[in-house]
Amino acid sequence: MSAALGPERPQVVAHAQQALSYTVFDCKWVPRSARLLCLGSAARGTGVVQLYELHGARLELLREIEKPKPIKCGTFGATSLQQRYLATGDFDGNLNIWNLEAPEIPVYSVKGHKEIINSIDGVGGLGIGEGAPEIVTGSRDGTVKVWDPRQNDTPVANMEPVQGESKRDCWTVAFGNAYNQEERVVCAGYDNGDIKLFDLKTMSLRWETNIKNGVCSVEFDRKDINMNKLVATSLEGKFHVFDMRTQHPTKGFASVSEKAQKSTIWQVRHLPQNRDIFMTSGGSGSLHLWKYEYPAQRSKKDSEGSEMGVAGSLSLLQNVTLSTQPISSLDWSPDKKGLCVCGAFDQTVRVLIVTKLNKI
Amino acid sequence: MGDESVPYLLGEGTTKTYQIPISHLDYKFIEKCTDVKHLEKILRVLRSGEEGCYPELTLVCEKRIEHLDPRSRALRKDKPAATASDFTAEEWEAINSELTSWLTEMNEDDKKSQLLRTDTLNERQDNLPPIRCSSSCLSTNQNKKLQNKRSKKNIPRDYSEWDKFDVEKECSKIDEDCEESNSKARFFSRPSLAAIEKKIDTTGMTKREKIFIATREKEKGNEAFATGDYVEAVTYYTRSISVIPTAAVYNNKAQAEIKLQDWDSALQDCEKVLDMEPGNIKALMRRATVHMHLQNYQTAIEDLNKVLSVEPENSMAKKSLIEIEEKLKGLNPVSGPPGKGKKILIQEIEDSESGEGRGENAEECERRDGDKTSAAPAAARAAAGEPAMGNAHRKSHGKGGGKGHDRDTHKQKESAESRGKKGASEKSEKHLSDHEGEVNGYLRSHEKSESAEAEELCKSHRGGSQSAGGGSSTSLPPTAAKLKSEGNELFKSGQFGEAVLKYSEAIECVSGLGEQSPDDLSILYSNRAACYLKEGNCSDCIQDCNRALELQPFSLKPLLRRAMANESMERYRQAYIDYKTVLQIDSSIQAAHDSANRITKTLIDQDGPSWREKLPPIPVVPVAAQLHRWDGGSLPSENKPSTVDVNREEQLQMNREEAMEKFKRLKNEGNDFVKTGEYEKAANKYSECMKLNTEECTVYTNRALCYLKLYKYEEAKRDCDHVLQTEDSNIKAFYRRALAYKGLQNYQASVDDFNKVLLIDPNVLEAQKELEEVTQLLHLDSSAGAGSEQTRGKKITIREVTEADEQEERQLATSEDAETHHVPAEEAVPKRVPQRSSEKLCVWEPSNAYDFGQIINAVNANKDKAACADLLTITDPKTLPVLLSNKLEGEILLIFIQSLEHYIAGKDPGLAYQHLFYLSKAERFKVVLALLSKKEKEEVQQLFDVLSESQSDQYSLEHLESLKKVYEL
Repeated sequence: MSAALGPERPQVVAHAQQALSYTVFDCKWVPRSARLLCLGSAARGTGVVQLYELHGARLELLREIEKPKPIKCGTFGATSLQQRYLATGDFDGNLNIWNLEAPEIPVYSVKGHKEIINSIDGVGGLGIGEGAPEIVTGSRDGTVKVWDPRQNDTPVANMEPVQGESKRDCWTVAFGNAYNQEERVVCAGYDNGDIKLFDLKTMSLRWETNIKNGVCSVEFDRKDINMNKLVATSLEGKFHVFDMRTQHPTKGFASVSEKAQKSTIWQVRHLPQNRDIFMTSGGSGSLHLWKYEYPAQRSKKDSEGSEMGVAGSLSLLQNVTLSTQPISSLDWSPDKKGLCVCGAFDQTVRVLIVTKLNKI
Repeated sequence: MGDESVPYLLGEGTTKTYQIPISHLDYKFIEKCTDVKHLEKILRVLRSGEEGCYPELTLVCEKRIEHLDPRSRALRKDKPAATASDFTAEEWEAINSELTSWLTEMNEDDKKSQLLRTDTLNERQDNLPPIRCSSSCLSTNQNKKLQNKRSKKNIPRDYSEWDKFDVEKECSKIDEDCEESNSKARFFSRPSLAAIEKKIDTTGMTKREKIFIATREKEKGNEAFATGDYVEAVTYYTRSISVIPTAAVYNNKAQAEIKLQDWDSALQDCEKVLDMEPGNIKALMRRATVHMHLQNYQTAIEDLNKVLSVEPENSMAKKSLIEIEEKLKGLNPVSGPPGKGKKILIQEIEDSESGEGRGENAEECERRDGDKTSAAPAAARAAAGEPAMGNAHRKSHGKGGGKGHDRDTHKQKESAESRGKKGASEKSEKHLSDHEGEVNGYLRSHEKSESAEAEELCKSHRGGSQSAGGGSSTSLPPTAAKLKSEGNELFKSGQFGEAVLKYSEAIECVSGLGEQSPDDLSILYSNRAACYLKEGNCSDCIQDCNRALELQPFSLKPLLRRAMANESMERYRQAYIDYKTVLQIDSSIQAAHDSANRITKTLIDQDGPSWREKLPPIPVVPVAAQLHRWDGGSLPSENKPSTVDVNREEQLQMNREEAMEKFKRLKNEGNDFVKTGEYEKAANKYSECMKLNTEECTVYTNRALCYLKLYKYEEAKRDCDHVLQTEDSNIKAFYRRALAYKGLQNYQASVDDFNKVLLIDPNVLEAQKELEEVTQLLHLDSSAGAGSEQTRGKKITIREVTEADEQEERQLATSEDAETHHVPAEEAVPKRVPQRSSEKLCVWEPSNAYDFGQIINAVNANKDKAACADLLTITDPKTLPVLLSNKLEGEILLIFIQSLEHYIAGKDPGLAYQHLFYLSKAERFKVVLALLSKKEKEEVQQLFDVLSESQSDQYSLEHLESLKKVYEL
């Protein structure tokens, strides 16, 4: 940590930025390319998908696609590296998969939810995660659904509150633990601060907790390993890091929390090349780069002899403020270490370079 | 806290927020304050500007907080993104160029992959896992969800669901259900990592994709490694390698395996890296580490040296090198460097085994011999004489057999070693114990054959073979013998503790009977020592070895065991001495060689180049002990049928026969030379023979004959001595030594030897004759005075007499029919032994120093004291210094003294005194005197005694005393 504070401290450089004419909700790097996608909502209430290519310090618009409904989120997680189909969730609760070469008609489309799809995640594609390619969507209708692009119309798993229970707005979903063909979990965060961990292998709720504030974003440090860490960010500017290796029968997973800023932490994204470094994007237009440091012993025995996890510590590597508006989306390039894109509510998308990540 | 104790100096009130005294917003206070929280508050107040704007003070406060707590959240400030101004020009350039090159690379690649994309897609899709069971519904409510789901699975579904029924999925669900029955446990224990696929299916992937995936898996491995999850790391590295094998990943994997102490895999991986990148420093370092842990210190050192040759400043390498060197010093003894330690272990067992085999076989053999030749005249002959007298064929055969046996054991050693190594590589972690087990197994299997022999041994024991009285080592009382064999059995089965008890009982039993059988007792002690050694009880082992060696000095096994025990106890010097002693006894023991070498290294490390100086003296092993060992070693092999590898045996036979052939040829040539009287050449031939076979006694006796002919009595005597050490009843050797003694005028010894010849075979007429002659000479000797009178004439004539010698030879030869075949030459050789008994050196009065020198030389050569006495009688004592000139030597002085004592002092003490007096005036006298040995001095003393007894007018006692002083008495 001391090293991080020295001259070797990573720097965040705003490499390129592009003003947009619409509200950007999500931005994503197209795998194995220098192109990125911006997904959003145009002023007239339609959905926009823009494909940009990075040329030096300039973003060049390659294609713009307009869709009837505003697009809230997208992922490449369930597609192959060759196809690179984009899965999106829109304000109407539709899950669509697009071939960006021929985006007129979706290759897969389902009306998955009654209300807006807040969050989407994919696994099993891009060489990330063993097993079937699957997409998970979390919606304001309170359900979390897992989809297999090979199966039309119905989800392969549906996680919803039982009848009579009040439905909570699901703000975020994430896949994890996909280290072999059977194992897979879905983590969902709700507006009331609930975090639920669903085990797709056993079709059970494996763990749940509440972090008191609405959960804006959850992400496993890696999807395709025996689940290791989970970061959950909250509405009130706190975030929690859970050590997911050791689950105590009653206490669950050990965690450490940190308050990054006063405002909402909209997003958390782990560096694809190093799972222990992650960036959070905040409501005040700031970005924080963190490093998780493991404790000497990751687990210990409690008084009853059950294994319980020990949380590590967090250190802030760098923080920058890019905007006065919240940064709502963030994505690391899977191909170029330190290259990162973020979209803010000031209708700007920025390409950032984070330096010296190798030296941490 | 500190701030509260600070008095309100100015009393200006407090800040609005936090209620901090205004006085605290001060440079001095901030500089001194150690309460971070308080400072943070101050900072917030300062930043807010509610008390006014003090940029300088704010900075100081920030610095102070940073100094106290660099991680303080208060320090986090909103910062703009870094720009070019935050970097040096080079850094900025590097950042931009790196990105640009990546962009171009990506764009190129993108175009390519667009062309490539298409049909492989379907293939990939076929490999996909099946679709998850449809419409599984999961409640987000924990309380009900499990029941919900269960019921869903177990109750019949409605029709719409049946439509989508997936048999395979359902089956796997059922499996999962079983699993779920103990799902609780599963949740809380870590899922096994074996579930991670070791290989990644890369069908239809482009190179770029493969690189992407390989890199990703490597990163996962790195992360797992950083967390200390080495098993997982290895798994991910393996996955990465399955996609694209790269040196870096192998290198990382090696490191993870080192952490897991999976030395073998680590070694393999290091080697793969070095195959790809021969100079890879990291791989070399890692391989060195592996070698170090596998205790292949030499290879580790080599690797480290390679590293240092590239990076001379590599501190890690230096450190490891030092560490290894220390280990080399420290570890040698106990567990040892497995490479070598292993060897000892095996060899130790080998040795103890074959040694035991030898010992037992030897005993057995002796006993058999004893039985067979129970009627033999002499016990000595039964013990060792018989083979000695036996024909050369049999003996050399036995010898060859011995060699073959040795070779076999060597081979077994090798195989055991290689097995050991294999074992080690298979389970490097506990290879020592494994190895032990293996060796024990080996031991047991090998010793089965022995146990049979041992039984036989015991039987023959009880059969009362002691009565033969031939073997000295077979007199164990039955109870003790039983105990001993029981002990042996226990030892073989690895129950060393109980074996110790048995041996101890046996020892008590034997020592209760008194010290009548030191050999047996020694063996018992030695066996017990072996048990102690196995148990690791080194001090007791050494004690027992000491006892065994007291009883039977220079016996091999106790020495070897003591050496090992000493080595284990890090008493390298003693161990070294013992190994060296062992090697003196039997230089063919490889283990001793290896150990001695190893210890030498250790001692050099320990004591530096002058390590030898610190060694206690190495005892000189008497030749008898060496040869005794040889008998023990070679004889049993005759009885022991070779069990291993017939081909090898045959080859050995071939070699042996070849050697035999050459040996025979040389010997025959030698014999031919003897026939033609060319003794010099014959002696050379025989010497060559000895190089081929040092054990062949006939060659020595033949050469002794040649030497006798050449008047080299000293050499002849030596050869005979050699033969007699091997075969202490070789009649020929005795006969020839007798002749040699006769030539050396040691008549008493000669008489003794002739008597021995007659003792062995009273029918040897020549010996009788010679004996008579020598006894006469002896008689003559004592009455030398008269003899000296008889000598006349001026010439020294040494007459060569061809006498009855030849006949004697023939008789001897016929008496030992076995010999005839091999030494036909001896019979034909005309004997020309000078018969000085009937002859005297003719001494004349020397006129000058040259004459005198000539005579003295002649006298000296024959040790003819009588002649010398003559010479002295006719020589004027006053001229002695002149005549001697500077030629006075120890021998001359000695013969003068002897002559004076024996021949002159009695008759003419005055003359003797005169001679002594003038002798002391001769040149070099002092030097020669100083070089006289103790014995020789005694002779001088005797002469003086004689002189002091016999008075003469020539000298007074005072004179004598002063002269004595001159002679340093």
